[in-house]
Amino acid sequence: MTAIRISGGRIHDPANDVDGEVRDLCVEDGKVVAEVGPEARRIDARGMVVMPGGVDIHAHIAGPAVNAARKLSPDERRDHPLDRTEVLRSGTGGLVPSTFATGYRYSLLGYTTVVEAAAPPLAARHVLSELRDTPMIDKAFLILMGNNQVLFQLIRESGGAVSPRLRDAVAWWLQATGGYGVKLVNPGGVELWKQSNGNVDSLDDQVAGYGVTPRQVLEAIGGTVHELGLPHPVHVHANNLGVPGNADTTLETMRTLAGRQAHFAHLQFHSYGGKPGGQPRSRAPELVDYLSKHPETTADVGQVMFGPAMTMTADAQVSAVLRDLDGGKWINHDTEVETGCGIVPYTYRAGNYVHALQWGIGLELFLLGRDPWQVMLSTDHPNGGSFLSYPKLIRLLMDSAFREDQMGRANQRAIRRTALLDGLDREYTLNEIAIITRAAPARRLGLTDKGHLGIGADADVTIYHDRADREEMFATPRYVIKGGELAVEDGDLRRADDGLLLSSSAPFDPEVSRVLEPLFGDRYTVAFEHYPVRDPALREPARIVEAAG
Amino acid sequence: MAEPGPPTPVTCAGCAILCDDVTVEQIGETVRLAPPCGLGAEWFSERVRRPANAPAATIRDRPTDVETALARAAELLRGARRPLLHGFGGATIQDAQAALALADRLGALVATDGIDGAWPGAPAVPLRGASTATLGEIRDRARLVVIWREDPETTHPRLLDRLGFGAGASSRMGSEPTLMVVDDRDTATAQRADVRFRWAPEHDLVALTSLHVLQRGLALGTSPLGAELQGLLDRVTDVPHAAFMYGPGLSAGQGGQRRILALGELVRALSHDRHVVTLALPSAAGTRGAQDVLAWQTGYSGNVDLASGHPELVTATQPLEAGEGVDVSLRIEGAGGELGDGVTAIALSSLPVEGVEVSIRTAAAGVAATGTAHRLDGVPLALQAPLPGEAPTAAALLTRLLAEVQP
Repeated sequence: MTAIRISGGRIHDPANDVDGEVRDLCVEDGKVVAEVGPEARRIDARGMVVMPGGVDIHAHIAGPAVNAARKLSPDERRDHPLDRTEVLRSGTGGLVPSTFATGYRYSLLGYTTVVEAAAPPLAARHVLSELRDTPMIDKAFLILMGNNQVLFQLIRESGGAVSPRLRDAVAWWLQATGGYGVKLVNPGGVELWKQSNGNVDSLDDQVAGYGVTPRQVLEAIGGTVHELGLPHPVHVHANNLGVPGNADTTLETMRTLAGRQAHFAHLQFHSYGGKPGGQPRSRAPELVDYLSKHPETTADVGQVMFGPAMTMTADAQVSAVLRDLDGGKWINHDTEVETGCGIVPYTYRAGNYVHALQWGIGLELFLLGRDPWQVMLSTDHPNGGSFLSYPKLIRLLMDSAFREDQMGRANQRAIRRTALLDGLDREYTLNEIAIITRAAPARRLGLTDKGHLGIGADADVTIYHDRADREEMFATPRYVIKGGELAVEDGDLRRADDGLLLSSSAPFDPEVSRVLEPLFGDRYTVAFEHYPVRDPALREPARIVEAAG
Repeated sequence: MAEPGPPTPVTCAGCAILCDDVTVEQIGETVRLAPPCGLGAEWFSERVRRPANAPAATIRDRPTDVETALARAAELLRGARRPLLHGFGGATIQDAQAALALADRLGALVATDGIDGAWPGAPAVPLRGASTATLGEIRDRARLVVIWREDPETTHPRLLDRLGFGAGASSRMGSEPTLMVVDDRDTATAQRADVRFRWAPEHDLVALTSLHVLQRGLALGTSPLGAELQGLLDRVTDVPHAAFMYGPGLSAGQGGQRRILALGELVRALSHDRHVVTLALPSAAGTRGAQDVLAWQTGYSGNVDLASGHPELVTATQPLEAGEGVDVSLRIEGAGGELGDGVTAIALSSLPVEGVEVSIRTAAAGVAATGTAHRLDGVPLALQAPLPGEAPTAAALLTRLLAEVQP
């Protein structure tokens, strides 16, 4: 494999307390090494910024929902063709790019690892097939467990507590699917949507027919993930997404999981004051305050970016609300036993009060947060906007003059109801950007080889021109090195490697099959013996991260 | 299954339901499936009965070896001005992935919707969307299942069983849902219906739009179908969950897209205060998966033209209208169709193919080759290989062809 000396760059490696130190960085055989021989390729990085490859902790890039969104929106991608070349496959871009285009464009942006944040376990083969066709990046997926009828039964049997049977079942499910972590989406609420177009209002509502509450699901599954010591803690999409006043639910959810490691997805969508049915307002400061007192809790923001988006969520009831607001295209797909899915194309408008408030709340979460290791960058791609808007978001965080200009274009009544006009002139440093886009997500995912540039780390490195226009800087890395090989140079992809599938593993008692098999037989239309993904062609090349528990 | 053995649990790829609760057992030249399914047994038997001395490949119907046939196929594809890849009825996800890689390199036209316009309803989904569900959701929640001008008892024989109808069916609702059939034919499915509506196909669009009018509480005016439509609507609105099943019976022919759109709008309107879903019934096991692969690799579903160097959606009802000038066709694990004169045909098939320039025998997925397939509701399933075989998979052949046509 290639040996490379990156010479004279300014290194931002916050995981190793390196903040702008000018020195060489060496990589060989896919890893960061102390030194390379004189024959190594030399990249002159003088005047450039060197960071670990980007790590996206929460995006939607593969699986049946993503693919349904592609089918729903051919018009949206018609203007974004991607031509085939000698080394690259053709495809289409836009908000929901084709698989090859997704891999290429993340790589061109300097990202080297991406997490698909919501996969129905039943669809694992589909997710894995798409991820195999998503080159250049390492990828992982989180399996949806917040509305699983089989788990509901086990939770009811345990009285809402963590039990050996639950631990075995969750570990079995990860092994059966190749998943990396556990995602809870609107626990209990999605089942009620499928039952009766309903939802839960509070954590103590009963899920009809199952004798469990959202709080019990959170405690039982969140506690199970914590006790198993999975590399990534439970990943929570809280109840009542988008509902005015939902900050109460979010804070209650955080308190329910307090003391246990937990990551909260797209916190912006869960930070609203007001009353259901009324106008929302910001309660971001309270959530930031909670985070500051609870280091075991982290979040990604789910920033809204003005312009087109594609909302897609397992929280299908939310999509029905958007359908009624918008009157446009809508997909609903109910997946037996496990989850739902809703998809609605959507546009966030700067002049719209609610959209501008959402935009402002996202920035509040970034700018009020005291510890960047707790608040990570995401747009919940493509829900709040495309991952291609990350450079603009970074500029909003690093350039207060630009941010003020953008604030001036947004609905002023909404902006006045945020803290953005209260002298909030903070500008993120390059090291803080390195934290929220690579170091913190990698650490939170338990990917010890990623998100940093210490000896032995994966040789995933992004090198930027140090431009005053941070949007331009982060949109066009000068070089991207993936797995020790030069992947991008001057905005061109030089190769099209597969990337790894990242999965996690925790031990379990195989006897759990005796418990699960009859429950499967009662509920699924897929035979228990055929449910696990066994085909090596779908699961490799893989890196398995063992649970610490 | 070369020698009789115990029943083997498999996923049956005999139709798009992909029943994976099946065991298969070879007895002489016949295959027995349990639970029984005539279509599935015949599908397996066809692939088991193939004579042992059948050629591995042919050129103009004369036996040849695979390498010679591959070389000829690659030569044809390299020289093609306007290649077409089609079929996919028996293709796995892996076959479709390999086919798309080849099509991309060739700049080919790809038709997963069939080349004869038999399934032109698919383009309706991008216009407004859809409400759908997996089989288990429908089985366990729908209290009314409407089969619209399809006969799954013939085309998908275990569909009703798997949706909780009939003896041995397992619905968690405790009782059978109501089966409603809209069809003027006296089909096997219609004979099982609890409720029947028998208007002729030419009334379908009016019926669907009128149902939407009635659903909104508006008066229909004079309509010969008025009373029937109100009866149908009452049945739907009497239940919290309902499902509509449709297929080419509604979508094929002139106006198919409008009829599918009208059904979608009706379901959307009904969904405001109850859960209503639709499910399309493609006949072949590989169709849904091929369309899914096409969507994730190109961004478009249905039929795609790669001639310009990037994917372009083919919106013509019949893809060959867009692919005027097709000179070489490559059929992958599927039925043919009328390609017209002047088209040189290549077929990769697990069943014998005659009358083509080149044919290469493949291992049938689900019989002699493993792979992944997507059930008609999108659920991905593993296909097993209970019968040992030496033929290559279509995916392996397509990958060889790609290597051969690379510049």
